[in-house]
Amino acid sequence: MNALGIIFSDMQDWSMTELASHRSVAAIPYGGRYRLIDFPLANMVNSGVDKVCIITKSNYKSLMEHVGSGKDWDLSRKKGGILIFPPYAVGENHGLFHGRLDALKRVLEYISSSSEKYVILSDSDMIYNINYKDVIAYHVEKKADITALYIRTDIDRNTSTHKIIYGFDEDNRANDVLVYPITSGTYNVGLNTWIMNKEFLEALIYDAIARNYSDFSIDVLTRKVKSIKIYGFEYNGYFAHIDSLQSYYDNSMGLLKKENLDSLFYSNIGPIYTKTKDSAPTKYCKDASVKNSLIASGCTIEGTVENSIIFRGVRIGKGAVVKNSIVISHGNIGENAKLDSIVLDTHAYVTNNRVLLGNSNCPFFIKRYSIV
Amino acid sequence: MRLVKKECIAMLLAGGQGSRLGVLTQKIAKPSVPFGGKYRIIDFPLSNCVNSGIDTIGVLTQYQPLLLNSYIGDGKSWDLDRMNGGIQILPPYQRVDDSEWYSGTANAIYQNMDFIDQYNPEYVLILSGDHIYKMDYSLMLQYHKEKNADCTISVIDVPVKEASRFGILSSNDEGRIVDFEEKPKNPKSTKASMGIYIFNWDKLKKYLKLDEKNPESTKDFGKDVIPLMLESGEKLYSYEFLGYWKDVGTIESLWQANMDLLDENVFDLSKDWTIYSRHAEMPPHYISQNSTVRNCIISEGAVIYGDVENSIIFSGVKIGENAVVKDSVIMADVEIQENTIINNSIIDEAVNIGPDLKIGNPIEKNNGITVVPRDSIINND
Repeated sequence: MNALGIIFSDMQDWSMTELASHRSVAAIPYGGRYRLIDFPLANMVNSGVDKVCIITKSNYKSLMEHVGSGKDWDLSRKKGGILIFPPYAVGENHGLFHGRLDALKRVLEYISSSSEKYVILSDSDMIYNINYKDVIAYHVEKKADITALYIRTDIDRNTSTHKIIYGFDEDNRANDVLVYPITSGTYNVGLNTWIMNKEFLEALIYDAIARNYSDFSIDVLTRKVKSIKIYGFEYNGYFAHIDSLQSYYDNSMGLLKKENLDSLFYSNIGPIYTKTKDSAPTKYCKDASVKNSLIASGCTIEGTVENSIIFRGVRIGKGAVVKNSIVISHGNIGENAKLDSIVLDTHAYVTNNRVLLGNSNCPFFIKRYSIV
Repeated sequence: MRLVKKECIAMLLAGGQGSRLGVLTQKIAKPSVPFGGKYRIIDFPLSNCVNSGIDTIGVLTQYQPLLLNSYIGDGKSWDLDRMNGGIQILPPYQRVDDSEWYSGTANAIYQNMDFIDQYNPEYVLILSGDHIYKMDYSLMLQYHKEKNADCTISVIDVPVKEASRFGILSSNDEGRIVDFEEKPKNPKSTKASMGIYIFNWDKLKKYLKLDEKNPESTKDFGKDVIPLMLESGEKLYSYEFLGYWKDVGTIESLWQANMDLLDENVFDLSKDWTIYSRHAEMPPHYISQNSTVRNCIISEGAVIYGDVENSIIFSGVKIGENAVVKDSVIMADVEIQENTIINNSIIDEAVNIGPDLKIGNPIEKNNGITVVPRDSIINND
C-alpha cells in the first residue's frame, strides 16, 4: 500500500505510571503475549504498509528489544521496513519533544524522503483492529485533508480527559474538536489515528515550524477545524484505550469474553504479530484446574487459575489459586499462594503461602522483579 | 561465488517416506510430521544443530517435499537465514551424464558431494529426520577429534527385545567399534546406532565413491558404507548418548513420544536447550468456565470448551462444549464439536469432527491407537 506509517510510542506519559515506569507505553504487555505496539503494527502490516517508523520518547529499551529488526512483523525489508527514532535533535530542537507536531518536525527529513503518497499517524495506547485500505479509500473519496478515525462510545468524566472528541456535520466533516475535555455522555471519540496526504503533512510541519506550534491536536485539529477538511471515519470493532491501571485491568479482563477475543484475534483482518519467543507449549499438571482464562505458552500450571490472563513462561505452583488477575511473563506463584485482582508485572515472585488481594475496581499492582 | 570454509556441516536425510506411519505420511514426508503441540520432527535435529553451533545444514528431500519446503522457508525460524551457510534444501537434480533419484542414504550424500565441497569442511555430520531428542553435537565432535577417529557413530542402549530393529554395534574398551550389524537377528550387544554419524569428509568421500562403484551395494550407510569402512580397518568409534531419544517411526512410538512430554522427568521441552519451530501467529489459548484440563499440554490459539486429559493439544484446536479428549494427540487446527468423545487417538491436522461422535477406544481396552488422516471431515451420517 502506498502509505507510510508513523507510530508514537508514548504520547500519554501522564498516566500508566505503574506499567510504564520502566518501559514505553508501547511496550506495555497486553493480552497474554503481546505488547501494545503489536496492535498498531498489525494494523499497518495487515493493511499492506511496509514502511513504518516508531517515534519514541524515553524508556525505550524494552521497545527496541521487542521490535528488533522487525522481522517478526515481516518488516525487515530492503525497501521500507521498520525504523525506530529515539529522541532526536534537529537544528534548534533540543531535548525531548513536546507533542506530536514537535516530534514530527524532527523526522521531517525522513517523511520528505519517503515516496509514499499517504501517511498514517497512530498512537500506541488505543487497541483496535482495522484495514487502513478502507480508510484511505474514504479519505480519497472525501478529498479530505485529514481523515480521523473515531468510535462512537460512552465516556465519563474520569476517562474523558484522556480523549479527543469530534463533532461532525451531516457529511461527517468535523466542525468541532475537543481535546481532553471534562464531560460524560455518548461521543465521537478519536482513536488518535489520522490519515493524510504526505504533502499535506509536510505543509503542516512547515507551518508548525514557522509558528512554533508543537501540539497536533490543539494546534492543528482544534485551531484549524474550520479552515481544513477533517473528515471522520467511524470504526466499530473491538476497542480498548489503555490510559490507566484500571482501564488496563478492565480491558484485559474484557478479553475473556468470547466476542472480544474473536473480534480482536480471530477477525478476517489478519493476525496480531509479536516477537517470537520459542517457548514450549504450556503444561497442565494432574492437579491443575483452569476456568475462563487466557494462557500463553511456556507456562507450567500446577494450581488453580480462574478468570485470569497468564503471560508466557509463568509458573503456578501446587495449591496456588490465581483469580481475576493478570500475571505478566515469567511470574512465579509459589505453592498455596492466593492472588485475587492482582496485576503482577514481569519476573515477579510470590513466595509460598502468600495471600495478595486487590479488588476489581482497584486492582493491586506488583512491580516487576519484586519478591513478595 | 566463494563460500567461507566451515569446520563441520550437517546433512539431514529428510527424503524417507516413513511408511510405517501410514496415513500420517501419505501426503507429507516423515520429518514434517507434527509433534509435541507446536513442533515438527525436523525441528529437533535442526534445533540441535543450531544449539550446537552448526550453522550450515543441507536438507536432502525426495518424498512429498512440499510441506517440508514451505515449512523450512529461508530458515529464519531456526536462525538459519545466514550470510554464509544457513539451511539449504537439496532435492535430486539432473546432470549431463546421469540423473537419478536418491537410491539410498549414502547415495543421497554421494550425489551432493559438490554441495559439501563448496564449504571445504573437515567434518560432516549425518542426521536423519525421524528422532525426537535433545543432543549437543559439539560434544560428539569433540569426542571424534579426541579419538582421532575417521567416523564416530552415536549409540544408545536399547532393550534386548528391540535390538534387532536397529543397527547394533560392539566396541572395545576405548570405544573403537569392532563389529557392526544392521538389524541383526541375534544381536551381540544392546548398543544401537542412532543414525547420527560424524565423518572426516576426506574419508567419507573416498568410501562414498568406492561404494558407488559396487553394483551389489544398496547405497545405505548402515548396510554398506559403515561395514566397508570397518572391513578396511578405518578408525570407527562409538559415542554413547545418555539422554532421551525416541525413534518415532511407528504410530505407537509417535503417540508414546508425545505422551512422554507429560512427565517432565521423562522428557521436558521447557528447559534450556530450546527447540525452535515455525508456527502460526496465534493468541494465547482460552479455557472456558466449564472445562477441565488435566495432565495435558496445550498450545497457542487453542479454544477449549470441553474436557481434556492426558493429551497433547496443538495450536488452533477447537474443542466444543462437553466434548471429551483423553489419551490423544490432537494436531493443529482440528475442530472437535460438542459432545464428541475422543479416546486414544491421533487426529492429524485440520480434521473437522462433528458433534455427538465417538472416536477411538478407551486406552484400557487395549485396542490400539486410532488415526484420523489430515483434512478429514467426520460427521454422523
